[in-house]
Amino acid sequence: MRTSSADLPSPSTATAPPVTVPGEAGGAEIRGLVVVFGTPDGEMAAVNGVDLDLPLGTITGLVGESGSGKSTLALAMMNAVPKPGRIAAGSIRLPSVKDMTQLRGKALRLARGSALGYVFQASQNSLNPLKRIGAQLLDLGRAHGMEDKGVLLARARELCERMGLDPVRTLSAYQHELSGGMRQRVGIVFALILNPRVLVLDEPTTALDMISQRTVLDIVRDVHRDRHLATLIITHDIAIVADLADYLAVMYGGRVVEKGPTRHVLQSAAHPYTRGLIAAIPRISGDIEKARPLVGRPPDLLSIPRQGCVFRERCPLTIGRCSLEEPALVPVVKEPGGIFGESGDGAPGGHAAACHVTAPAGGDRSRS
Amino acid sequence: MTAEGAPGRWRRLGHRLGVRLLTGVVMVLAVATLTFFLVHAMPGNPIQTEYQTLIARGVTPSVAAQQVAGMYGFVSNRPLLDQYGQYMWHLIQFNLGKSISASGEPVVHLVLSAAPWTVIPVLSGLVVSFLLGVSLGVVAAVRRTNRLGKVLSVSGSLFHGVPQFVWAVMLAYIFTTLLPIFPFGSPYNILDTPGLNGPFILSLVYSAVLPVLAYALSSYGGWLLTMRSSVVSVLGDDFVLAAELRGLRPLTQLRYVARNAFLPLFTILLLSVGFMFGGAIFIEEVFDYPGLGYQLVNAVNARDYPLMSGDFLFITVAVIALNILADFLYTFIDPRVRRAA
Repeated sequence: MRTSSADLPSPSTATAPPVTVPGEAGGAEIRGLVVVFGTPDGEMAAVNGVDLDLPLGTITGLVGESGSGKSTLALAMMNAVPKPGRIAAGSIRLPSVKDMTQLRGKALRLARGSALGYVFQASQNSLNPLKRIGAQLLDLGRAHGMEDKGVLLARARELCERMGLDPVRTLSAYQHELSGGMRQRVGIVFALILNPRVLVLDEPTTALDMISQRTVLDIVRDVHRDRHLATLIITHDIAIVADLADYLAVMYGGRVVEKGPTRHVLQSAAHPYTRGLIAAIPRISGDIEKARPLVGRPPDLLSIPRQGCVFRERCPLTIGRCSLEEPALVPVVKEPGGIFGESGDGAPGGHAAACHVTAPAGGDRSRS
Repeated sequence: MTAEGAPGRWRRLGHRLGVRLLTGVVMVLAVATLTFFLVHAMPGNPIQTEYQTLIARGVTPSVAAQQVAGMYGFVSNRPLLDQYGQYMWHLIQFNLGKSISASGEPVVHLVLSAAPWTVIPVLSGLVVSFLLGVSLGVVAAVRRTNRLGKVLSVSGSLFHGVPQFVWAVMLAYIFTTLLPIFPFGSPYNILDTPGLNGPFILSLVYSAVLPVLAYALSSYGGWLLTMRSSVVSVLGDDFVLAAELRGLRPLTQLRYVARNAFLPLFTILLLSVGFMFGGAIFIEEVFDYPGLGYQLVNAVNARDYPLMSGDFLFITVAVIALNILADFLYTFIDPRVRRAA
């Protein structure tokens, strides 16, 4: 998955060491992020105390059901939480921005798009239907102080080619003249034209057919490598990111309940919610009955438990402590002869989970 | 799409325009038929009255018919279907017959001389109200949660709710009686000699201020409300959020929104021109403008069938022609229609 930085086209990677390690400086760093929404019953947290690192050169998959707070987290990274929501606490550091949550006005506008490229959940309709795509790219460049049309167009053409799009045809087209997969790729062109180091893709393959999904994901992997980006892919489908992401973070009820290297998380998932998500993946070949849906429904803003574990009402392993005390995200300790394989070695690569039963704090191994 | 040459596109566009024009002509003829029979279904028939008067005076029927025909341009005692055939035959030669109330004057002349008194004030009023209503509609939509937006919306509903003649009477009362700054009762100063001379044109413009203002104020509210709701719906579109999150300039964002929101108003604008010709009656009555509305009212009162039909026909043709124009221009302002055409 990792590439050396020797063949990087981007000149602005002076700070990036050739080999990336988890938590390397230079990527994005989210600390203690809390996003609340004002409701008639007071402010409710949609994202609650999230810590997440997106190191350069690493693809992170953020997985969760609808309403888990993953899209809100992504919007918060742009400091664009829609009213009546607001970022109540925490900080978001990007390679060129000290704290995104502190920016206002023009500084915020300039940081959007140039510090962080965002591919929209509704990329199908993310462009002005009345304007040619090339003209909109020029608008975007001008908005960020790039007056040189030639440079901008050259960069746009190169990106289009990288995406497998015919540059001349694409740049002179209107949005309605492109297919769904093409629109999604154009969305990535818009996200990358200003050379951000952090790329966020919100449900990049929703509404695409299987072939287009594959194409888009391959392209994401390729540009990610070429440009040595810190990439965050948000999805509800854990299968999408299983072979693409280096790291996984699983969100539930506004919290990250498990995170770690993809292989570890998939092979020895510690949190019962993650296990449920993995069990629910339908296989293309084989018995459909093997895919077991998660019982129950995810909580919404108003039904998130105020106390204890947010998952306890759907959890098969729940114990008395779960309704009293919220579990902390702690390193997962290897389970001797564990049900999920032998690959664990202590707390591998920052694999952590928040569960009183399977990942008790303080390395307490006594299980009920 | 792009592979297709420009000449092909123009040929298709020309073909489409041809079809539309043909449909338009058929529609005009259909409306002419309807108005002919509607107008003749009205109670009271001055030609019959005239004919009967001549007969009563002892004139022979054939001479009486001849006299009436000489006076009014058609023979009245023939079956309605015959009259209709003759009317349509004349119509396709652009001959609308002769007026009854203004004896012998060709209807075409009367309509064309009245038209400028309606068309110019209506168009000026429409341009003023449209520009004002549409721009303030954008403001009302963008600022819809604060006081300015609310005040604008309420003003829109209020202005939209006041009928045209109330505006006309109110303006006339305020600016000619309370504060006599504008002239009243004539479309120009009768002391000036009509023609292309400075004082006459100045007095024309001066006298037109109040009627134009009446047109503008009565249609401003409608534009504001329509544009406001159109902008609000566009603001909810995904591409608007995307433009904001990509860090486009606020002015560019506003341009994206405004142009998209403007599309549905464009067709309404051109259609409303035609309808306002017909609705000019009250304002022309109040300000004594010898326009189409004024003419139509007099024609109806005098049972001047040819003139009535002529006025109706003018309004019909205007509505249909502007509809075709709107349809045609739409292909230039909306690329989605252009390709589908």
